[in-house]
Amino acid sequence: MEARPLSIQRSGARQLNNLGVSGAMSSSLPVLPTPLEETYPKLPDSRQISMEREVRARPAAHTTLVPSNSGVVGHIFSSSSGFSSDLQYSSVSPHEKHSGKTPYISQSSTNAALPLPQSSHSNKPQSTTSSHYTKESSSSWCPESLPGIIDFPTNTTLHNSQLESSSCSGVMSSEDFSKRNDWQDWADQLITDDDALATNWNELLSDNNMTDLEPKMAYPVPNTPASILVHQPQVQQQLPASSGEIRNVVTPSSSANSAPAKPRMRWTPELHEAFVEAVNQLGGGERATPKGVLKLMKVEGLTIYHVKSHLQKYRTARYRPDSLEGSEEKRLTPLEEISSLDLKTGIEITEALRLQMEVQKRLHEQLEIQRNLQLRIEEQGRYLQMMFEKQKSGLDKLKSSSSNLENPSTPSSDAIQDSLAKSEREGSQVDQGKKRSDTVSVNSMLEGSSQELGNNNQKAPETEAPEGSEPNVSESSLQPTKRSRTDK
Amino acid sequence: MKFGKRLNQQVQETLPGWRDKFLSYKNLKKLVKLISSTPPLLNGSLEYVKAEAEFVYLLNNEIDKFNAFFMEQEEDFVIKHKELQQRIQRVIAIYGANGSQPSVTEYKEEMGKIKKDIVNFHGEMVLLVNYSNINYTGLAKILKKYDKRTGGLLRLPFIQKVLKQPFFTTELVSKLVKECENTIDSVFAVQEIEEEKKERREAITVTSGEGIFRNTVAALLTMQEIRSGSSTYSQFSLPPLNLPDSEVVQSVQLNSPIAIL
Repeated sequence: MEARPLSIQRSGARQLNNLGVSGAMSSSLPVLPTPLEETYPKLPDSRQISMEREVRARPAAHTTLVPSNSGVVGHIFSSSSGFSSDLQYSSVSPHEKHSGKTPYISQSSTNAALPLPQSSHSNKPQSTTSSHYTKESSSSWCPESLPGIIDFPTNTTLHNSQLESSSCSGVMSSEDFSKRNDWQDWADQLITDDDALATNWNELLSDNNMTDLEPKMAYPVPNTPASILVHQPQVQQQLPASSGEIRNVVTPSSSANSAPAKPRMRWTPELHEAFVEAVNQLGGGERATPKGVLKLMKVEGLTIYHVKSHLQKYRTARYRPDSLEGSEEKRLTPLEEISSLDLKTGIEITEALRLQMEVQKRLHEQLEIQRNLQLRIEEQGRYLQMMFEKQKSGLDKLKSSSSNLENPSTPSSDAIQDSLAKSEREGSQVDQGKKRSDTVSVNSMLEGSSQELGNNNQKAPETEAPEGSEPNVSESSLQPTKRSRTDK
Repeated sequence: MKFGKRLNQQVQETLPGWRDKFLSYKNLKKLVKLISSTPPLLNGSLEYVKAEAEFVYLLNNEIDKFNAFFMEQEEDFVIKHKELQQRIQRVIAIYGANGSQPSVTEYKEEMGKIKKDIVNFHGEMVLLVNYSNINYTGLAKILKKYDKRTGGLLRLPFIQKVLKQPFFTTELVSKLVKECENTIDSVFAVQEIEEEKKERREAITVTSGEGIFRNTVAALLTMQEIRSGSSTYSQFSLPPLNLPDSEVVQSVQLNSPIAIL
């Protein structure tokens, strides 16, 4: 029944993924025969639950990704493949970031994944699809992340941002996902918990993938962090960098230690400075070895892979500047040379560069403005949403108290609805007033939103001042919509 | 399909290595269409849930792609930035007035090369910021479409998440861009003030053929077009773009004496 549309979507997804999509979305891939449910029972429930909690907790956190401390920020979910223990992975990845929290995370992470995917319905296409997307497989994450637990000190601030930042950080819950049998719970969560949802999906799907590949657990899932720690050294050879971002490039192989992990590190100038220092101490770019540099830098979460690739880039930049940016640079350089040879004077070159610089500056300026506007818009939307929800909960309370009254319940609820709508409008106008000092464009948008309290589901015409309050009330949640409609 | 077209244009014109790193807008749109055309799904039903899961999964993949590419480029930029600083120091130390082998001609020549590199470097960074922005815009649009077509509530929470992604937190790259501008202003300020107007034409002809510059011009124009007014204007729409000197940009757009590609 629903398998078909799903498989269609999956094939589409797959093509999307491969970037070779030519729009042949309707061709369905053969469904791989690994149903989700089979993988589920493997994981203990406790893990899943903690994972779930973890995932839920994530949306609340909102630290910035770029850390202000010594550059060792961000965390990397190592995506080394091979470790079949889903639970481990999920627990591990969050661990890295925040050593203090790792014990909690490991448990919670496993749980988080669980509630989502487990539904009774045979989600075969889904699981198979996820197995296609081995890239997202969480299996690769865990092994790397495990060692991280041992090495990383508490790094709580990063924790949440990390978790959130890894949109595909199904790492944590992926394993757990597969284990869950409670599909219905997952569906419920979908409805109620949007933030967790987004990450959960990823986890869910990637988790399926992983479990398909590595049904066996590398090691039993311990409930205590300590046991996880114990296991890690055996499993990992590398520490995922803590100051990087999670880049879960998954290698679906089942060999635990041989898969080259590709956790991505977010290099900052400070970190790079430390790197250059270390390199110079070791005798320069050519003589320094990754291992030596790694030791000298003493940066937590930095793995030898990071250092290796960075060293390679560094060497290329220093000793062969043309090849750093890849082939396109090479192609451009001879052309630029020709053009500069053709120029009679240095003045022309100067002028050309100046003009180029002008345009680039202009573009950058506009990009910054645009980005700020975008941030503002979303902030506004969030604010309105919050306002609306507050009003809604207020209305709920009123309704529940008014339901005690027998007769006047209907008219009073109408009255309540009216006053609610009114106060929402007022609230949004107050909101407008606050922002009126901002740019005109933002202002006009706010005026539009005063009619709609952040309703982003309506079409444009509705944005224009409708008199009734129902569009206002019917914000982003459907239930209020229904209520307000009946009201008016 | 206005944005889709613009995006494609941008992808065509972008540096070759970047072509497959952009958002697969068209395909996501198709998926949204597909989802919305299936028989009406009750919110909370399993089909709906699965469809949304699929959609979110794809979006997350895209985000991963952006993040990976962005961070890799960012790393390269950090290294290159430092390199350029060091080159400047070295040239000053060797060929400068107080250097070990003071030589005006050498100094000028080396500095000229460095300057050109800095300008191109600056351009490339700006292009990366543009990359980030256009992909974000695409995501926002596709989410808006999704919510509109399926009555879902995916957009708001999902976009909050996107806002925090590495590929969208471009502060570091912007900072490097500004530093480049400062470097150019301070180190190269002296050399630029002669006979600008006369040489302008030739300069324009020459520069518009060069890869990075051409890309930034294209990016700017594309941005202008994308922002030229929305048909579905809502409080989530950006205002139209107003470029103060748009004619400068227009004039640069056309000539491509040196065929690139």
